[in-house]
Amino acid sequence: MEHFINLLIRAVFLENLALAYFLGMCSYLACSKKMETAIGLGLAVVFVQTLTVPLNNILMRGLLDEGALSWLGPTFAEIDLRFLSFILFIAVIAAAVQIVEMAIDRFLPALYTSLGVFLPLIAVNCVILGGSLFMQERDYTLPESIVFGFGSGFGFAIAIVALAAIREKLSYSNVPEGLKGLGITFIVVGLMSMAFMVFSGIQL
Amino acid sequence: MSTVIGSGRPARFTFGPNERATLTDPLIANNPITVQMLGVCSALAITTRVDNAVVMSVGVILVAMIASLAVSLIRERIPTAIRIIVQLAIIASLVTVFDQVLEATFYEISLELSVFVGLIITNCMVLGRAEGYAMRHPPFPAVLDALGNALGYALILIVVAATRELLGVGKLLGFQVLPLTRDGGWYEPNGLMVLPPSALFVIGLLIWAMRTWWPSLVEKD
Amino acid sequence: MAEASTARDVNAPGYTIRFALVVCLICAAVVATAAVLLEPRQAANARLYMEKNVLIAAGLAEPGDDLSIADVDALFNRYVEARLVDLETGELVPENAVDARAFDQRAARSDPESSRPAPANKAGIHRLPERAVVYFIRRDEAVDELVLAVEGLGMWGTMYGFVSLDPDANTVRGLTYYEHRETPGLGAEVASPVWQRVWQGRKIYDDQWRARITVIKGIAGSPEDDPLHVDGLSGATVTSNAVTNLMQFWLGPHGYGPFLDRFRNGEADT
Repeated sequence: MEHFINLLIRAVFLENLALAYFLGMCSYLACSKKMETAIGLGLAVVFVQTLTVPLNNILMRGLLDEGALSWLGPTFAEIDLRFLSFILFIAVIAAAVQIVEMAIDRFLPALYTSLGVFLPLIAVNCVILGGSLFMQERDYTLPESIVFGFGSGFGFAIAIVALAAIREKLSYSNVPEGLKGLGITFIVVGLMSMAFMVFSGIQL
Repeated sequence: MSTVIGSGRPARFTFGPNERATLTDPLIANNPITVQMLGVCSALAITTRVDNAVVMSVGVILVAMIASLAVSLIRERIPTAIRIIVQLAIIASLVTVFDQVLEATFYEISLELSVFVGLIITNCMVLGRAEGYAMRHPPFPAVLDALGNALGYALILIVVAATRELLGVGKLLGFQVLPLTRDGGWYEPNGLMVLPPSALFVIGLLIWAMRTWWPSLVEKD
Repeated sequence: MAEASTARDVNAPGYTIRFALVVCLICAAVVATAAVLLEPRQAANARLYMEKNVLIAAGLAEPGDDLSIADVDALFNRYVEARLVDLETGELVPENAVDARAFDQRAARSDPESSRPAPANKAGIHRLPERAVVYFIRRDEAVDELVLAVEGLGMWGTMYGFVSLDPDANTVRGLTYYEHRETPGLGAEVASPVWQRVWQGRKIYDDQWRARITVIKGIAGSPEDDPLHVDGLSGATVTSNAVTNLMQFWLGPHGYGPFLDRFRNGEADT
């Protein structure tokens, strides 16, 4: 249990995908002008990340790893298909996003209207693919990958909501002409990222 | 729509002012990172050293060009419903091949770049050019457009990496340029520059500089 | 008109499925060809890189030397003998039973058949391989160096390294970390030759043969006066502590300890 709490804390704060690894920066910067959109994108990321990381973990262990195909017969036991992982992961993500979009539209129309625009965008958000690639690189087990998927998605959500809050306040401040908009946003994210580095000493 | 396709057709392989604009616009005026805000993630994560930035740039240039060429060649045959996933499949295959080649040739750099090579797949710049330009243009301009954007991306990547490597460890491409106080020289390295947040500061300041130089880039609110 | 009719054809369900299949086949063929053609070179690179680091830890090569596969093979044939150790008993696996140079310790550690859960430890190690690799370095007849593989969790990910010991199985001769994800400029200094040199001459064990080597905060004394301490990495306490934990684990009773005891007593059949 302690191991999982540790993993969760690491995924949310220490290894925050947005502020420590700078993944998903494009949508992070583009969708953080307003609080509402930031919350929408954040929720969508948590949702899709918690779904796709464990799903990719199952497929990775069941199809790609060396020896994963041994149930097909002894001749398949030696096959190592890990070189297909990029393609498999992105296909799973694109498909999952599509299915989630249709499911939400059908069963939770209220949520769909608030998430609607962001769901298709997420298929090409590096946070999602990055989460699966880190999962593969660190060789997480299935329970670990569920915790990591949720934690890393949640970390991204926290980061984007925080940035949106700062940017809303920022519109009242007096920023030099050339630095307005994108420039100052980069610098704010830099400062936030430094603040998140404070967590890096924590070990549970 | 049809005029766009038509205008490109007669001058398929000539290199006139239009083609030059396709190629050079994205370098500064429409730079993917500082203006279009595409492909920012990798620009931040792998710019501690110039050699990493160069390898990453080469990867993005090759993948973007071949992907745009392939998408443009089959653009009239792609079913609209599976458009994005077909583009992603093409890009993912190219990235996988690049990753494999890197591992077979520059093994130590491939260890350092680890997952970030894979993330070229979701580099919105590559997909953005395939979807936004190559889907509607013939192969030659599509390749030029991809090359221009990828070069614009590479330019920022290398400028940021050079700044960080020079100020952070006093080196460029691994050669000591500024003698460090540790080794008896005069330069005290700025530790902040090797930490990830400095990439954000450098790009932020770069945007400021570019907008002061070319006021047309300033955002209208 | 012509465009409208192609647009309809292109979106017919049958065509969509056929198109998707063709794209999949072409992509799969390209990727598979590349993977199959490049696989031998990748495997050779990975092994070359690891063995180069064994040589660096042993002082037979310098960091930054550009060694080809042939150079590494030549040095290995001349000076290095790779063997496997049963970690629990500390006995060497008979030489002809396995090819120790081709042994993949990371694969062995992940495979439930050749590994077991690790006892509680601070080095972040969850599984232990049954067998681990050891390299005997002989410049003349007798073994004059032992190179052992160590690994453990750093701040951002697992750090992999080699440590080289004198024949007393106590004094450090050299050290490398060849794979890690530590913070550039701070924790990543574990891989710096400057820091690795301060390890030379330090002792692993106290007089009760407990693994006590510790990376401290600040600067340690000379190896003669202060043999059990090593200079800390400034600004990287987590990485420094991680190095302490993983060294104490791998050189302790659950790691190479039993083997090193045998070796010291002359019981290891080298």
